[in-house]
Amino acid sequence: MERQSDDWEQLLAAANAGDGRAYTRFLHAVSPVLRGVIRAKSGGLGEASCEDVMQEVLLAIHLKRHTWQVGSPVRPWLYAITRYKVIDAFRARGRRIDLPIEDFVDSLAADPGPDPTEAADMAKMIGMLGGRSAEIVRKIGMEGASFAETGKALDMTEGAVRVALHRALKNLAALRERHVK
Amino acid sequence: MKTEDLIRALAADTQDTRPMAARMLTALVPALLVSLAALWLVLGFRADLGKSLLITDSIMRFVLTGAVGLLGARIALVLARPEGRDEVRLWPLVAVAIAAFAVLVWAFVTTPPEGVQMKLVGKTLTTCMITIPLLSILPVTAIMWVLRQGATTAPMLAGLVAGLGGGGLSAAIYALHCTEDSPLFYVPWYGLAIAGVTLVSTMIGARLLRW
Repeated sequence: MERQSDDWEQLLAAANAGDGRAYTRFLHAVSPVLRGVIRAKSGGLGEASCEDVMQEVLLAIHLKRHTWQVGSPVRPWLYAITRYKVIDAFRARGRRIDLPIEDFVDSLAADPGPDPTEAADMAKMIGMLGGRSAEIVRKIGMEGASFAETGKALDMTEGAVRVALHRALKNLAALRERHVK
Repeated sequence: MKTEDLIRALAADTQDTRPMAARMLTALVPALLVSLAALWLVLGFRADLGKSLLITDSIMRFVLTGAVGLLGARIALVLARPEGRDEVRLWPLVAVAIAAFAVLVWAFVTTPPEGVQMKLVGKTLTTCMITIPLLSILPVTAIMWVLRQGATTAPMLAGLVAGLGGGGLSAAIYALHCTEDSPLFYVPWYGLAIAGVTLVSTMIGARLLRW
C-alpha cells in the first residue's frame, strides 16, 4: 500500500514530477492554512469574498509551482506567494493590509472556521474565457470528467485538452490581472 | 465555483513544471550565442586575440564583466523565487565593483601622467558605447523572459540584476573585439555601458515583472 505522507516538500516534489494525486493532497493540506490567514485579515469582507481571494491564491500557486526549488522548504515559498497575492487581492478590493510572515505561523493554530462557501469571481472569470476553454475547466473541475471524456465530448484529442486546460488556467490569471487594473 | 472544483481542475493540469534553472539555460545560452555570432560577423574578433589573452589587464576585462554577468544571472534566479527577496545577497556584486575600482586606481598610478588622458578616451569610445547595449538586447530579454515565468516579489531589483546579467555578459562578448586593454578605458566605459543597460532594464522590470 502507498504510504500516506503529509510532508509538504514530498508532496510538492511529486506533484511537480506529474503526480496529480500528490498534488491534490498538497493543495488540500495547504488550503486550511491559507484560508485561516485570509479570514483573519479580511476585516469583515465576508466569507464568499474571502473564498474568492483564496481561489486567486491557489491559482497563483498553481501557475508558479515550478518556482519552488526541490530540496528547499515549501513554507517560506508558499507564504511568500500567498502574501504577494493576498495583499494584491485585498488592494483590488480597496483594502490595504499588512501581512507579516509571522501571521502564517499564528494561523496554524487558528480555527479555520466553517467550511468554505461557494465563491463567485472564478465562475464569472471562467465565463469570460468563453467557448471551449470555459467548457474544459467546467467539465474537469466541476464535473470531475477525465481528459478522455472531455476530449470525446468536445471532439478533441486528449493531448489537446491537456494543453487547452493549461492555457485556460493561465488565461484566468491574466483576466484577473486585467480586471484589477 | 467551489474551491474543491478549482483544486480538481488545477490537479489535472500537469503541464509547464520545468525548473527555473533549466529555463534560464535554454533562454540565455542561445541569446548569448546569437550576440556572439553577431559580433563576430559584423565587427569580428580582434586580430591579436590569442596574444592579448596573455596580458593581465586584457584578461581582467573578461573576468570583471563576466563576473558581473554571471552574478546577475545567478541572482536573477534567486529573485525569480517569491521568497528569494529575503535570501538574496548583493555583496558579491559590490565586491566586483570594488575590484574594478581597484584595477582602475592601479592603472592610474602605473600609467605615466602624460598617457592617462589618451588611454582614458581611447580610440573606440563610440563603438563601445553603441555595441555593448546592442549586444545586450537579446541576453537581457532572455533573462527578463525567464523572470516573467518566475514569481518575483521584487520586480525592480529583478529588473536590475537582469540588466547587470545581460549587460555584463555582453560586455564580455564585446571584449573579444575591443583592443583597448587599459583599465583606464574599460572600467569607466564598459561600466557606463552596463550601467545604462541596467537602468533601462530596471525600469522595464518594475513594470513587466509584476504578476
